[in-house]
Amino acid sequence: MTETIAMGQAARPTSGLAALAGREVRRYLRNPVFLAGVVFTALAVKSWHPGRVQEIGTISAYPAIFLGGSGLIAAFWLTQSTRRSAEALDVTPTTPQARTAAICAVAIVPFALGWLSFGIFVRIQPLDGVWRYGAFSSSDRMAVLVSQIVVPTLGGPLLGIALARWVRFPGTAIVAFLFLYGWVSLISILAWAHSNSLPFVMLRFFAPFTFFTLTDGPHNVDTWRGSPWFFVGWQLGLCAVAVTVALLRGADGRRQRRLVQVLIAAAAVTVLMYALTVTGGWNHPVMSHLGQAPVPIGHSPHPTNR
Amino acid sequence: MTTSISLRGAGRRFGSAWALADVDLDLAPGVTGLLGPNGAGKTTLLRLFATALSPTQGTVSVLGLDPAEPAQRTGIRRRLGYLPQEIGFPRGFSAFAFVDYVALLKEWTQPAARHAEVRRVLGLTGLSGIAAKKIRTLSGGQRRRVALAQALLGPPAVLILDEPTTGLDPEQRATLRTVLAELARTSVVVLSTHQTEDVAALCERVIVLDGGRVRYDGLVTELTGQAAGRVWLADEPDPAASVSWRTGTGRYRNVAEHARDGVEHVEPSLEDAYLLLRGGRTAGAEQATGSKEVVS
Repeated sequence: MTETIAMGQAARPTSGLAALAGREVRRYLRNPVFLAGVVFTALAVKSWHPGRVQEIGTISAYPAIFLGGSGLIAAFWLTQSTRRSAEALDVTPTTPQARTAAICAVAIVPFALGWLSFGIFVRIQPLDGVWRYGAFSSSDRMAVLVSQIVVPTLGGPLLGIALARWVRFPGTAIVAFLFLYGWVSLISILAWAHSNSLPFVMLRFFAPFTFFTLTDGPHNVDTWRGSPWFFVGWQLGLCAVAVTVALLRGADGRRQRRLVQVLIAAAAVTVLMYALTVTGGWNHPVMSHLGQAPVPIGHSPHPTNR
Repeated sequence: MTTSISLRGAGRRFGSAWALADVDLDLAPGVTGLLGPNGAGKTTLLRLFATALSPTQGTVSVLGLDPAEPAQRTGIRRRLGYLPQEIGFPRGFSAFAFVDYVALLKEWTQPAARHAEVRRVLGLTGLSGIAAKKIRTLSGGQRRRVALAQALLGPPAVLILDEPTTGLDPEQRATLRTVLAELARTSVVVLSTHQTEDVAALCERVIVLDGGRVRYDGLVTELTGQAAGRVWLADEPDPAASVSWRTGTGRYRNVAEHARDGVEHVEPSLEDAYLLLRGGRTAGAEQATGSKEVVS
């Protein structure tokens, strides 16, 4: 060995983590599944026309599907890509938790694109004065869009990373995406059929994505029960749970105990957010007609089932 | 002697079977070879050295640190190089990108210094000319050298190599011997192999494992010397020999437990000595395993 460079490179853990996160982000940006998701999202956003008022849930779901869905699959594959080298990589001074945290940083990319999609959407379809938003306040309308456009772009990749850390089957991410797509579709249909039934309301919110409004004839919009802002809280809680579950892989000793405590706390907050989502907001579904005050569905003074 | 790796009563159990039992070892800078049949516990022992496994019984100390303590384990890993027996590579990585990725995990955060170090180890393993090639396009031997290159990053104070010469051609093996001999001046190098000629050419010390137990631990020259007078050539296989095989000249090389007179003795090799040691295995091994059932 003619040349020796002494070890002693060990820098502050944060700078090492930042360098590693940068490396993982660059790898993620080259992932063909993620790039396909970006292209499809761009095409969907391009189809949003100013002046043509559009169904909120249907249009806003595209970034969730394309950025969140592709983000889930791409992050899963990115995380699993080093599995076959694990025996060599696991004995480096960078802990599995630091490697997982660096991979979690890739979610920043689709998350930023989610915010960009959100910005374009509200510019084309302002939160104030558009009847398609139903009976929600401007603040709640923003929460609806954040929950439908932005948070799924963060949650998809984080779910993919958590799954990759614990499940070996290479097709897990695709199965998870199809399952979530099917589940959200199913509970949306059930929610439409039973919009004032508490069990079905609870079912509707037991998902990482949900609809809050439904166009019901010309210039009529049904606004369903539940609090959009607390639903955002529930979604972010699920993100925190996914990150903690991913970090738990390979943890031992004191670090494992701390992570379990964090997981319990995150799960408790998430459950609380879920309960507040179900009980908050409109306590019965209402129908709003263009320029008129909302009325309970069924025109009854009391909440009723449809 | 400066001890860098120390095992006391160390053992490792998988389920109900002991892969390694009651091992006491002290390793100092230099090259130590690990020989033994398949399933002898070589890989398990190397994984204990590399902090990839924790012992079920006994204690392990590497560089004076306890791998059971997370902070001390990280301290060991900062100065460790490890080549596993089998290693896969992430899709789409070039040789340079993979070694660079491992260097980043080994806390080489300054890009210029890291790239220089990656180029250095790729040069040591003869991969400089193909560093930009995707790993999936490389031959088996070239991939093995990529795996070896990542282990040489540092350079490490403890280098653990599990069958490093598998897939390498004779010239590459000779180059590797030079690299390891140089590194072993200051570092502990442990290599497991089935190639006795590699051990004979490179190692001062050899450990022979069998059935999860240490069967021999000493100098290579001493082990080879044990076969003196017990290896001979003949036109036919000798029924009294522990092992006989036909050589390229058409004559038979015989290795026997007891020295023979009146035959054409030849200079014993490490392989002869190893086979001799293995040939007398049964009685000794049963005594050594004692009450523990050891997988082999």
